[in-house]
Amino acid sequence: MPIPRRIVLGLLAGALALPVAARAAPLSEDALRTAPFETIVEAARGGTVNFFLWGGDDRINAYVSGPLAEALKAEYGITLNRVGVADTAEVVNQILSEQEAGVTDGGAVDLVWINGENFRTLKTGGLLLCGYAERLPNARFVDWSDPSIANDFGTPVDGCEVPWSKARFALAYDSARTAEPPKTMAAFLDWVRANPGRFTYAAPPDFNGSAFVRHVFMHAAGGAEALSGPFDQARFDAAAEKAYGLLDDLEPFLWREGRTYPTDIAQLNQLFANSEVDFTFNYEPTVFGAGVADGRFPETTRSFAFDDGTLANTSYVAVPFNAANKAAALVLANHLLSPAEQLRKADPAVWGMATALDLDRLTPAEAEAFRALPRHPAVIADEDLADRAMAELSADWLEAIEKGWIERVGR
Amino acid sequence: MTAFGAALPRRAGALVRRAAARPQGFAARSALALLLVLLVAPFLPVVVWSVTRAWFYPAIVPQTLDLSAWTSVFSATSGVPAALGRSVLIALSATGLAMLFGVPAGRALALHRFPGRRLVEVLVLAPLVVPPLAVAMGLHAVFLKIGLAGTVPGVVLAHIIPTLPYVILVSASVFSAFDTGLEDQARSLGATPSQVLRHVTVPLLAPGLAVAALFAFLVSWSQYGLTLLVGSGRVPTMPLILMQFVTAGRQDVAGAIAVLTVLPGVLALVLSARILAAAAARERTTS
Repeated sequence: MPIPRRIVLGLLAGALALPVAARAAPLSEDALRTAPFETIVEAARGGTVNFFLWGGDDRINAYVSGPLAEALKAEYGITLNRVGVADTAEVVNQILSEQEAGVTDGGAVDLVWINGENFRTLKTGGLLLCGYAERLPNARFVDWSDPSIANDFGTPVDGCEVPWSKARFALAYDSARTAEPPKTMAAFLDWVRANPGRFTYAAPPDFNGSAFVRHVFMHAAGGAEALSGPFDQARFDAAAEKAYGLLDDLEPFLWREGRTYPTDIAQLNQLFANSEVDFTFNYEPTVFGAGVADGRFPETTRSFAFDDGTLANTSYVAVPFNAANKAAALVLANHLLSPAEQLRKADPAVWGMATALDLDRLTPAEAEAFRALPRHPAVIADEDLADRAMAELSADWLEAIEKGWIERVGR
Repeated sequence: MTAFGAALPRRAGALVRRAAARPQGFAARSALALLLVLLVAPFLPVVVWSVTRAWFYPAIVPQTLDLSAWTSVFSATSGVPAALGRSVLIALSATGLAMLFGVPAGRALALHRFPGRRLVEVLVLAPLVVPPLAVAMGLHAVFLKIGLAGTVPGVVLAHIIPTLPYVILVSASVFSAFDTGLEDQARSLGATPSQVLRHVTVPLLAPGLAVAALFAFLVSWSQYGLTLLVGSGRVPTMPLILMQFVTAGRQDVAGAIAVLTVLPGVLALVLSARILAAAAARERTTS
């Protein structure tokens, strides 16, 4: 089958030339940190922002691609391109590969929804734009001195990311099956032993399963204070002995006698929905409401937090060092912090994610609007969570606890 | 058939010859029906998942019929319709390019003896042996440097890697069973070159090449890791979006996306089966 060589070469050249498109000269990094915000808005106008975020919830997708994108277009003329990912670690790998390939400008990611280990990896690698966060006009609504804002899983934020939402750990039960759930960790562990096979947890390093194990760890260590601050091997060893012992002893009472664990939270959710176990949990209790709404959980699902304390974290948005559209990313980050957009996101009919703003810094009318938001009956009241909130452990503690669990319990 | 042609494409070659040799279309049609059932049967629960909600144990059958997964999938904000179009574009382009390079290569390997042929055969098979993800990582780094990462053309070029071996192997098998003497006979009976092509070469080769194209299309269609890496996540094809909902435990939406993901594959299969059946029919009328 003879094909003229010049056709083959022409096609190849065409394919290679396509992606090479001209880009307007962007603002310098210094300008992004020092220029008046109006300058940044002007530079961003008419551009595009590639927003990378977990794509596994059609409600979140619909919110970001719908009202959020429309507002950004209407107010700033910026096109929001939502890029869904199955795991935020993929985005971290993308940025790391770009750095290794020497792509210092024109990177794929403009803004990423991030926290915890992923943030630490990027920050310690010097792969984030820093120093702009507190200068955003809407940053005045944020209490930057709040330790749960200033630290992301123990890593100081240092103006390298912008808070977006708050989340606190809660457990879900089916009120049709369990009338009154045990509300302290000690009572809960007793319940598990009294009801063999009716509980299990997602195996670390699953994000949520790992958070449950940290609650057990804090309980075994005698409180969150025992594990606060920087990682300390001696303190870890003392707590680990008790905590892993406790989890080991619990195994025979778990689902399938603890011979196997769900590998991710989706599996645990399914076990719960199908009445194979009586509890599931999540770091973001709004998913229980969303789960009832989209038919993943029974209508009678309710949630609660442990009286002895529940872990709290904040999730953020961050701009990579090599983002192609930094100005547009900053405009989006600022827009996400506006009271109106935060209110829309906090509405359970839209998403229901708790605001990262400090209500005391809003006008009384704005603050009242947040307080008046309806709550899905499956979702624990925010006040009940706020009362019990405990700061997250630093990422070193978190990693040591996960590693220890995998070695000693998960084997 | 050369030793090379005897490797993977034996099944494909046999399929072509068997379909062509069928005295009747009935057996071919039953085989096709069986194949479709085998393809579709494991898929039925997925279809059911996509049109139900709140289906919990111990209910044996779904309690409610609900189309909200489909509504959400087809909404403008889901990105699924765009991903479907993108997947088709990428798979068709990758198939076209793979055929462009693979068919001549297959012909050369089947019909010509040349120094270093063994080495070329090994190299052709290499993408099937080397883990594709390892190749993808290196390719991603190169594409990042030349600006191809995160673009549709970049993903198309990357998809040539896993598709090309199938095209070359299948077309080598097709050409090894192809008797160039038939072309000579037609010419000696006075056929013009275009008549030879139209009435001899294409009818003889089309069924086999359709199988090659089908392989290429399906292999490209189902790429996940390669698309994710080389596309920098910015080229969301159907498998990428499907994965997001599967890992999130959303059987309803994942079910709907899975149904849409499998349709083009079935369509491609039916089309190639048609071509094979037509070839068989032609065989009957001419013999």
